Amino acid sequence: MKPPILIIIMATIMTGTMIVMLSSHWLLIWIGFEMNMLAIIPILMKKYNPRAMEASTKYFLTQATASMLLMMGVTINLLYSGQWVISKISNPIASIMMTTALTMKLGLSPFHFWVPEVTQGITLMSGMILLTWQKIAPMSILYQISPSINTNLLMLMALTSVLVGGWGGLNQTQLRKIMAYSSIAHMGWMAAIITYNPTMMVLNLTLYILMTLSTFMLFMLNSSTTTLSLSHMWNKFPLITSMILILMLSLGGLPPLSGFIPKWMIIQELTKNNMIIIPTLMAITALLNLYFYLRLTYSTALTMFPSTNNMKMKWQFEYTKKATLLPPLIITSTMLL
Amino acid sequence: WMSKPNMIWINTTTYGLLISLISLFYLNQPNDNTLNPSLMFFSDSLSAPLLALTTWLLPLMLMASQHHLSKEPLTRKKLYISMLILLQLFLIMTFTASELIFFYILFEATLIPTLIIITRWGNQTERLNAGLYFLFYTLMGSLPLLVALLYIHNFMGSLNFLMIQYWIQPLPNSWSNIFLWLACMMAFMVKMPLYGLHLWLPKAHVEAPIAGSMVLAAVLLKLGGYGMMRITTLLNPLTNFMAYPFMMLSLWGMIMTSSICLRQTDLKSLIAYSSVSHMALVIVAVLIQTPWSYMGAMALMIAHGLTSSMLFCLANSNYERIHSRTMILARGLQTLLPLMAAWWLLASLTNLALPPTINLIGELFVVMSSFSWSNITIILMGINIIITALYSLYMLITTQRGKYSHHIKNIKPSFTRENALMTLHLLPLLLLSLNPKIILGPIY
Repeated sequence: MKPPILIIIMATIMTGTMIVMLSSHWLLIWIGFEMNMLAIIPILMKKYNPRAMEASTKYFLTQATASMLLMMGVTINLLYSGQWVISKISNPIASIMMTTALTMKLGLSPFHFWVPEVTQGITLMSGMILLTWQKIAPMSILYQISPSINTNLLMLMALTSVLVGGWGGLNQTQLRKIMAYSSIAHMGWMAAIITYNPTMMVLNLTLYILMTLSTFMLFMLNSSTTTLSLSHMWNKFPLITSMILILMLSLGGLPPLSGFIPKWMIIQELTKNNMIIIPTLMAITALLNLYFYLRLTYSTALTMFPSTNNMKMKWQFEYTKKATLLPPLIITSTMLL
Repeated sequence: WMSKPNMIWINTTTYGLLISLISLFYLNQPNDNTLNPSLMFFSDSLSAPLLALTTWLLPLMLMASQHHLSKEPLTRKKLYISMLILLQLFLIMTFTASELIFFYILFEATLIPTLIIITRWGNQTERLNAGLYFLFYTLMGSLPLLVALLYIHNFMGSLNFLMIQYWIQPLPNSWSNIFLWLACMMAFMVKMPLYGLHLWLPKAHVEAPIAGSMVLAAVLLKLGGYGMMRITTLLNPLTNFMAYPFMMLSLWGMIMTSSICLRQTDLKSLIAYSSVSHMALVIVAVLIQTPWSYMGAMALMIAHGLTSSMLFCLANSNYERIHSRTMILARGLQTLLPLMAAWWLLASLTNLALPPTINLIGELFVVMSSFSWSNITIILMGINIIITALYSLYMLITTQRGKYSHHIKNIKPSFTRENALMTLHLLPLLLLSLNPKIILGPIY
């Protein structure tokens, strides 16, 4: 794409999310969502293969439906409370509709079916934007309406998301699908505590965005999209294999890496509210997640697949600089008691 | 990382020995029954002996790993050493943690370097599977522990210093408390394997490189024992009957694993199963909760740590020569390597708990306290002691005595390093039998 067009589109995406986050009028929020969605469609279609077309069409359909549902919820709220300000929502039907719409945008289960296919069909860079930046806007709305969300609904969605994210990722070798299922599972963790302590959701979101950004950048560094091509990394960038190891373990939530912090805090908040079985279930299904992360690390860092012999070839990408900043942040930063 | 290439082993070993010396002076003070808090969030060590064991083993691990890493490029050697040191650091912090959640974090954190050591530097293809089993068994048990710890944190206000056990209330007998007890204990039951959950142990021990096996057997299993001793004092004043199924499993499992040892062909696997059997004794001791049994458990843990580690070193010296773990391939070593035969003899004797050693003290205390718990257990314990003696002697006889096999013509003689290694293992073991007061734990 020509650079000026790219700049305009990126700016539109950012402006859209900013409008969603900063406004207090429901109509403006809807406008922000629509701007975001329309501007990201060309980004998703950067390459002109039919798979990208299919991916962007699916994305458009789900997001448009979700926006319409959101508008419906907003109108019902207008009907029952007579004002457009985003604050406590007076009608339970409206809140259920809004929650459903926003979880559809996020990719929580049972509306998760679009996430793996869309992530698979697009380039790594667009996938990165999709999985990180696009989550900010719906999460900020969920944060703002969090006092009036129906807890049972959201907890059910969160539980099923964690289960789906764990089980769905088990049979995958394509890295983008693995990251998609990982995103579903992490969104499930985040959704579980919105109603109890929304600050933890922000913590989880921040850490998740950091970890996913680093992962995608490491994948982009050697343009690998399958496990097989990832396993050739010991040849080219041996330092990065250890980074991938630690990053994957952190995504899986092993202490003392920083991926453990959101899980720990979420379990703490949930047990303070006397829900014991649910965090136990969520924690155990997070082990499924860990399994396929671990499989990735096995193939890259810990064993050597049969491949071409040890010829060292070096080439530089411009992403090199930024990629090395983030993983140290991921590794350390366990704030102990 | 900052040493010259041919000095790395020497430097790290020396530093390791110095650290262990410091820990010995610094933390073997709590023998006057005074608790000695060191820093803000490191507690005193009721478990000072375990700390000494951990720091003592680091230089030994380094010495043991020198041979099989000699052909690797330098960076990988340094990586290996850093993994070992990282593991050591986490273990030291775990044993001196004063808050249970800190302990939990470090408990899990010790898994990561161990996993890396096993999968990256192990020797056979089954090591991937072994690493997976190891990680997932432990994590599956310890996630409910996390939930339980946080619940208790809410319930009692704080988990700090582990001395705030002064305001525990007795737990009434309800279903939710039963689950709480289970959640707390299962993690440690997996870790120091209870008989039904021990599947990860033979795999992990057999596939790990020598330093990994040493540290696994010696220290990581004791993490489970240490955790159980901490948690039982804090949480379970009344649920004594919850211990019955686990006692049954441990007692029966003790005998079963010892009998499996009799029929093993794989040397490391034999030592691994003997570890399970000794640890089952420790589980029995901790679950009975009498002062004598705690003393016996502590002594047994230290003794078993040193003994198993030494046996693994011996097995490794065999492995390095013939590159196979089968026992019968290397018979009759007494005629070829007589000094090594002496170490084999001593190690086997301590394994079967010969009288003045601390192994015997541990086992004896455990047997006596379990007899006072129920008269019938003495039969089972007696059977176990007999079978332990049987397999230890079987191991000794098969590898040392008899005519040597015909193809052992080209074994290298024992290195000085190996002899030094064995001496360093054995020396604390024998010296402690002169003064076992140090390791008898908190209640002496």
